[in-house]
Amino acid sequence: MQKWWSIMFFLMIFPLIYLCINRVFHAIVMYITMNVAIMLVFIYAPTEKMQGIVQKIFYFHVSSAITMFFAFFLVCVASIMYLWKNSDWWDAIALSAAEIGVVFCTLVLITGPLWARPIWGTWWSWDPTLTLTLVLWLIYVAYLMLRIETYDPKRARFAAVLGIIGFVDVPLIRWSVEKWRTLHPKPVLIQEGGTTGLTSAMLLTFLVCLGAFLLLFFYLLRERISVAQSRHALEVLRHDIDEIGVG
Amino acid sequence: MYKNSNSFITLMSGSKIFLQQVRALLAKDLKTEWRTREIFTSMFVFAVLVVVVFNFAIGADTELIRQVASGVIWIALSFASVLGFQRTGQMESEEDSLQGILLALHDRSALFIAKMLAQMLYLLIVVLCILPLCGVWFRIDFMTCIGELCATFTLGMLGLSIIGTFFGMIALRTRACEVMLPMLFLPVSIPLTIAAVQATTQLIDGKSLRDIADYLVLIGIFDIVFFFLVIIVFDYIVEE
Repeated sequence: MQKWWSIMFFLMIFPLIYLCINRVFHAIVMYITMNVAIMLVFIYAPTEKMQGIVQKIFYFHVSSAITMFFAFFLVCVASIMYLWKNSDWWDAIALSAAEIGVVFCTLVLITGPLWARPIWGTWWSWDPTLTLTLVLWLIYVAYLMLRIETYDPKRARFAAVLGIIGFVDVPLIRWSVEKWRTLHPKPVLIQEGGTTGLTSAMLLTFLVCLGAFLLLFFYLLRERISVAQSRHALEVLRHDIDEIGVG
Repeated sequence: MYKNSNSFITLMSGSKIFLQQVRALLAKDLKTEWRTREIFTSMFVFAVLVVVVFNFAIGADTELIRQVASGVIWIALSFASVLGFQRTGQMESEEDSLQGILLALHDRSALFIAKMLAQMLYLLIVVLCILPLCGVWFRIDFMTCIGELCATFTLGMLGLSIIGTFFGMIALRTRACEVMLPMLFLPVSIPLTIAAVQATTQLIDGKSLRDIADYLVLIGIFDIVFFFLVIIVFDYIVEE
């Protein structure tokens, strides 16, 4: 249980970093962490006995997967907040998190097969975790398409509703595909009784790597939100100009 | 702004007006459908087409056909249901009839519930027509497990109608409605499809209700979760 709490605590740091430090400082921290992470992965972390060098992709694959879930969770929270508060800021967060979440989801779907090929001997298998990721990708791509395709001014509301429904669907998909078939390795990060299947050097490397990914996520989120807000401001200005022109 | 909590309270207390409105809307939809038979025909013919085309893809292996039959039936039904959801939505958007209905309603979720029930009824009739056909074509005797199949299909169709009707209302306001509806509907309905296909396959293999209880529970939870979720958020998407 202690491991769970430490990981939850670890995840909590990043929203705080996002809120407390400015853009330039954030970029610098991110740059340093990324370089350290790459050095740790390829120089410091020991090579795994069974899988060899291929196992190094674990640091990127699992980090992107956690970042992806974090992003989609943020979409759901921001969507609920948007429906509740009706503020454009929350809508901008939901849109940005969904876009970046899809990018990380794509990364997971690319690095997964690359890892699976030498270890399982196949590029793809329909196991629960892979299927869940693929279905999530489909749902959130539909979310992005819905935003583009809707001409109704209420499009943010439609998207918010889908953001909630999509995330509520996750445990149901997980449950159904688990009953369907399973092959994926049991999570090595945290095993029963709170012990971890990784050596301490590997765990440190992984945490730094995850930190780098989350810093990257929040940096992209920051930039994307400012783009969304500028675009919204532009739309409002255009609308005003049109009204003046007609009046 | 329309108070969202109202829909919940009225629904729970089973207010008389609410039920009357649901009944009136349902009667309107069923009457229109009875006169035109448009939605049922398109869904049924499309479902038959899907089954026939799949039949060519599978080939003549009787054992193989038996194994994939339930998958084919559920895919045919879920594809056909997309046509139905699209049509019911379009029916209301013609001549702004949606506006009129919304103005007349005391509680807007009445519209959702009526549409959903109508859709479910059409789908169940399609199931009733397509099962005997599949039984003959795939040489499967559905009569041995007809009660269990009824439960599976009723729960499944309820789930499909809930999310389908809801996404139908959303897709109506998009530029490419025909594209958006399946894109939204199919991925979200995946857990239901998986559970329903598994349950049907096991029933065809002669398993009992106890063996498929897990799947039925999953479908039931899917139905309940999405029903209440949709009732809560429905006001946000029809609100002006």
